[in-house]
Amino acid sequence: MIHRREFLKLVAAGALGTSALRCGGGAAGAGVFRTNLAAEPPTLDPNLCTDNVSLRVLTNLMEGLTAYDADLRTIPAGATRWETLDGGRRVRFHLRPDGRWSDGRPVTARDFEFSWKRLLDPKTAAEYAYFLFDVEGAEDYNAGKLDDPGKVGVSALDDGTLEVRLRRPVVFFPTITTFAVLFPLREDVIARHGEGWTEPGRFVGNGPYTLEGWRHEYKVTLAPNARFRRPPPGRGVSFFMVNERTVELALYERGDLDFAFLAPLDIPRYERHPDFHRKPMLRADYYGFNCRKKPFGDPRVRRAFSRAIDRGVFPRVLHGGEIPMTSWIPPGMLAHEPSIGLAHEVERARGDLAAAGFPGGRGFPEIEVAYNAAEETKLAAESLQAQWREALGVRVRLRQVEWKAYLKEISTDPPGIWRLGWGADYPDPDNFMNLFTATSGQNHTGWSSARFDALVAAAAEETDRARRKTLYDQAQRILCETDAPIMPLYCRAQNYLVSPRVRGLTINAMDYLYLGHVRVGPLGGAARPEVSSEARADYENAPRPPRRPRRGAA
Amino acid sequence: MTRTVLGRLALGAVTLWVVITLTFLFLRVVPGGPFDRERRLPPEIEANVNAKFHLDEPLAAQYARYLSAVARGDLGPSFKYLGRSVNDVLRDTFPVSAHLGLLALAYGTMLGVAAGLAAGMLRGRLPDRLAMLGATVGISLPAFVVGILLILLFAHTLGLVPPALWEGPAHTVLPAFTLGLAPAAYIARLTRSGVLDVMSRPYIIAARAKGVGDARLALRHVLRNAILPVVTLFGPLFADLLTGSFVVEYIYSIPGMGRFYITAVQNRDYPLIMGVTIVYAALVILANLAVDLSYRWLDPRVKIDGKEVAP
Repeated sequence: MIHRREFLKLVAAGALGTSALRCGGGAAGAGVFRTNLAAEPPTLDPNLCTDNVSLRVLTNLMEGLTAYDADLRTIPAGATRWETLDGGRRVRFHLRPDGRWSDGRPVTARDFEFSWKRLLDPKTAAEYAYFLFDVEGAEDYNAGKLDDPGKVGVSALDDGTLEVRLRRPVVFFPTITTFAVLFPLREDVIARHGEGWTEPGRFVGNGPYTLEGWRHEYKVTLAPNARFRRPPPGRGVSFFMVNERTVELALYERGDLDFAFLAPLDIPRYERHPDFHRKPMLRADYYGFNCRKKPFGDPRVRRAFSRAIDRGVFPRVLHGGEIPMTSWIPPGMLAHEPSIGLAHEVERARGDLAAAGFPGGRGFPEIEVAYNAAEETKLAAESLQAQWREALGVRVRLRQVEWKAYLKEISTDPPGIWRLGWGADYPDPDNFMNLFTATSGQNHTGWSSARFDALVAAAAEETDRARRKTLYDQAQRILCETDAPIMPLYCRAQNYLVSPRVRGLTINAMDYLYLGHVRVGPLGGAARPEVSSEARADYENAPRPPRRPRRGAA
Repeated sequence: MTRTVLGRLALGAVTLWVVITLTFLFLRVVPGGPFDRERRLPPEIEANVNAKFHLDEPLAAQYARYLSAVARGDLGPSFKYLGRSVNDVLRDTFPVSAHLGLLALAYGTMLGVAAGLAAGMLRGRLPDRLAMLGATVGISLPAFVVGILLILLFAHTLGLVPPALWEGPAHTVLPAFTLGLAPAAYIARLTRSGVLDVMSRPYIIAARAKGVGDARLALRHVLRNAILPVVTLFGPLFADLLTGSFVVEYIYSIPGMGRFYITAVQNRDYPLIMGVTIVYAALVILANLAVDLSYRWLDPRVKIDGKEVAP
């Protein structure tokens, strides 16, 4: 498999490199924005979606109560305003009166209540039901301990008001409502069509586009939703499902696609291309220790490994615009603090290891590092192996494991050191920090700290941004400096090509592709695409002057 | 005759049951499950998901449930494509694979038989050498190499056909050619050896002596007798081509079922893996039966119930 892919890339590199770049062409579908999803969306049912492919389509078909602005702050979307009561234990959302479904019916608070309770219904078996576990009764209802959905703390007070009762104050709760699993749903539509309601002709949404066609495994087409408060200016969207990146790029170069994401290994070839853009993402890669396994129970050993890493090599090895990180909360998020963490200090790393009883790496057992099989993860792992050998004199055996088998392994019996990543579900540091609390299912380190847990819990309830950051700073010091059960490595960037014909494209750091303003014009004129990183609501809720569109490339 | 066919069908059903059982068991041995994700699920949610798809039941119960559903023609829900059944998925994708496969089969057969016949009749001469060189290349080159080279030449450099996607007849040209090349090469080699074998038979010499022309000799006397080994190959070939090819569908972005041989396993989409396996196995069984039956028609000396063996 690897060999085959390598070969494809070599062949394509040769061919694409020698041919002049041809843009334009593709008269068919002019005005339609064409891009690639790379895979079939597993579902278009918001309650059930868990993956980026489904999200990329869904976020253009529907909207939630809130959305993001350019700085990923939560701003109004389906709701015009909200207030928190009872010291943050109650949140009341006021829906916009002009919200309409694609079949013309008004969007009501009842549609949100139905969707949220359906998300929590154990029969729905929604994997992301836990997004609402801070809502009163939600977890019990989902676990089957509470039979009456009426006791779940979500209720429509009237058509325009949704009230949520929380079991603890959660300052970022309105932020969570940006997420697709909490989009509203139509009870009548789902009752009529059952699980198949997401097919074209049945699907009813409240976003800028309607679902025009869905040829499974091949193409999803969206048409502008004329009933949306601000219908998209373009003629629609075609999402293809081209699996092979080389072919995707060949299609882009022929002008058959207007937008293409770049895989890391394709980036060097396109970095100087005029259509190339790069944008940091809220997605971080880290290596974790199994603190239950010797010798990683000793924090000095863990610190030594973390200090021995020169994280500056990753952008050079991986070519994807990676931003090295020693702390865990990624840049672009509240409480990001680059000064926290263990910087590259080989002498101190050696000192830590010697203090733990392994001077010069003598007596240190050969350790095993596991990672999921992929080109980028392999390059990163090999780089780490060399660095640890060089700096600490330890022998490291690498083992790559197929993805699903890998996930099983690290959630049951992780090796001494293992790799994983995390992408933000909502742009709040809580989403990154609560991963490593004692009760988190994502914490595979075998490490826990009551103080860390208390700091993260306190930060989730803290309304003052400065005080919140202080709490997270303290928690991050435990996570990345003193206890160091994980080694944050880098934050990823999204790299992509946009045709100069495209206007009004929105990509944010959560990897959303918002197409509500996109237009595909003829070639010529300003030969630069306008790529805006700003969320749609910046245009719509515009009491402030519209921001100058910013180029996505950093 | 009817009895023989019914007997073969019954045997086929048993074969299918063995295939289903083995696949079912092997899948559960592979580590990692359909709902293992980067984000690990809280236990209560995992329990809900398992309950929804009956994964919380004992393996024997799951197996019994599955067998009884399959007997009713229900291949179950896909674990990956939520809300779609495996029947839906295969109904959407099988026709595409079959369409492409039939094109590839038709062209592969024509090319292979023509080349093999020419090579056999003109043994040792230039057409023979060229055809066998082509056949060796066709067998040796994997589809992903052929596919990419064809894209580069015909789509990228010459711009004659689209490089990928499945929009219209022009989009079928490259994938059908890629898919049909290896079968064409096999068929050419088999046809050639069949022709060589037949050419040395006395009746050919007799026909020549009677003054039968080359074309008539080739088509009427040689080909009909030389084609039997090729027909044997047709059974598995037919099943292979109709159920799609992972590589060809992947390279050309064709919405067929071939992709599931790999992706469904990667996703641990148990019912979908079972579904494609069953369809493939059933086609192999049926195609082999059809081939055996066709022998009788092609060569009256052959008795399919095994009482008499072809010379």
